[in-house]
Amino acid sequence: MSKNYLITPEGTKDYLFDELRIRKKIEYKLRDTFEFRGYNQVVTPCLEFLDVFNMSEKGMPIEKMYKMIDSKGRLMALRTDTTMPIARLCATRLKNEKMPLRLYYNQNVYSINQSLKGRSDEVLQSGIELIGDSTDKADIEVLVTAIKCLQNLDIDNFRLEIGHIGIFNNLVKLLNISKEEKENIRQLIENKNYPALNDILDQVEEKEVANIIKMLPRLFGEKEIFDKAKLLMQNNSDLIKILDYLEKLYSILSELNLSKKIIVDLGIVNRAEYYTGIVFKGYIEGFGEEVLSGGRYDNLLKDFGRDLTAIGFAVNIDAIFNAVVKVKNISKTIPQVMVFAEKGYEIKALEHLDKLAQLKIIAEYSLKDGLEETMNFAKEKGIGRIDIVNENINTIEI
Amino acid sequence: MRPIRIALTKGRLEKDTIKLFEKLGFDCEQLHNKGRKLILSIPNENIEIVLAKAADVITYVEYGVCDLGVVGKDTILECGGSFFEILDLGFGKCRFALAGKKGADFYSGYNEKIIATKYPNVTRAFFDKKGMDIKVVKIEGSVELAPLLELSDAIVDIVETGSTLKENGLEVYEDVVNVSARLIVNNVSLKMYQDKIENLVKQIESVLN
Repeated sequence: MSKNYLITPEGTKDYLFDELRIRKKIEYKLRDTFEFRGYNQVVTPCLEFLDVFNMSEKGMPIEKMYKMIDSKGRLMALRTDTTMPIARLCATRLKNEKMPLRLYYNQNVYSINQSLKGRSDEVLQSGIELIGDSTDKADIEVLVTAIKCLQNLDIDNFRLEIGHIGIFNNLVKLLNISKEEKENIRQLIENKNYPALNDILDQVEEKEVANIIKMLPRLFGEKEIFDKAKLLMQNNSDLIKILDYLEKLYSILSELNLSKKIIVDLGIVNRAEYYTGIVFKGYIEGFGEEVLSGGRYDNLLKDFGRDLTAIGFAVNIDAIFNAVVKVKNISKTIPQVMVFAEKGYEIKALEHLDKLAQLKIIAEYSLKDGLEETMNFAKEKGIGRIDIVNENINTIEI
Repeated sequence: MRPIRIALTKGRLEKDTIKLFEKLGFDCEQLHNKGRKLILSIPNENIEIVLAKAADVITYVEYGVCDLGVVGKDTILECGGSFFEILDLGFGKCRFALAGKKGADFYSGYNEKIIATKYPNVTRAFFDKKGMDIKVVKIEGSVELAPLLELSDAIVDIVETGSTLKENGLEVYEDVVNVSARLIVNNVSLKMYQDKIENLVKQIESVLN
């Protein structure tokens, strides 16, 4: 078998130089956004027992996890999601904490993607979880934090889209059809596949419900969606309650003067088993995938033995990076100064380097023997200044 | 605003789509005389047309480098992907069918069946539903050859008129699914350019009916 020691696995890569600097800046801005709102960082293991991600029907698809076997034959998985390990934490080490608990994370998640699609199997995510509070105040705090994340990254052309999983879940409950058919309908709404959705729903008996579901994928846009939806759902008080709630959130968020940035989509139905309340996604113009996604998941922690409500979201740092960095050429930062120590002045030179660092000047220590060699090397590297350290420190420009 | 970019599947669907565009009153001059150009524009409409192979249409739309795409349901079923499939355009109609040598009883016997196809995913999904284990052999060219050469027990392929099957002594055992051309939209584009795309879709819907 040929050995693969010169390549990285498909979906992974090495990160270099300025790409990392830009990514770090994104990470730091998000970290600040979270920390100044009282969120505390947690890091969970890269390797967990597979059961953590697969404790119930709310779990992640097993076939997409990178799996291993531990020394006792138990199945392990590379972290494929961060919310579930955090739920585990809340049920164990954090079980005596005062609620609400505000946590944030910044770590990689791994999943097996379809081959040859150019997807990353290793994705850096930063996100928050607000645990132990199910009020509208908590929903608004998290939504505003999501918006601030994108704003603080100086992204202008973003959209935050809000929906509520309760609309789909309430409607589909009223249909007398099998679980598989319900899942099929959910997928068709998610893909906004109007023709196929109509075909399926024409066959169900509950005509009124079917007519509302048919419209779900089309109910997205601005404020006017609420009027349309309320007219359509007027006979169902549960749905009207949800719509009133969403409209309330929408109007509170419009105080941020971000009209047009916030849109409503009543056809967001991803992970319907997992979410229980509002769901939302963030987009950036010119980038074909969502960069942020989240929602309320009040039943997940129960599966871990701790009945706590929660809401959270994750920002995909790799997607943000790709969306904000239009220049594809990653360069390398060149030091401004090369420091050359004459014989016997090595420690003094290294201390000089430290002083330069305090002045935020990037400097490189010359390991060459002579000054001439140092100058040639600096020229090759494009460094324009040499500090020669002996009794004194002499600066020459080259 | 940058132009709305539409990816068209080259070949037969391309011609039908151009006909549709002409019904909408688009100036299709460039599309008729495209030479070797791969990106064409529709004057006065702020629309760009990209010509691509079927599976690539999906890839371009999925990544959002094209906002919309016209592609056959056959390719969507085979390739999958994440995008909105919002309109059945009604043209490019044909079907997937299970076919094999005329008169043979495909389902008889206990031996594992071998199926030759260009569409392994569609084939797998079809037999998964039946709870039937099969072997799939991927063929790139004329799939009809496989049962004739006795490489496979049957084929799963696109059937339009069925004349190729007939001429080679094959027949349809069972229909798998009907297909036709679909209009697909990138998930983000639909939200970002909602007015423009919904308008275009409404226009298309009105000429389709």
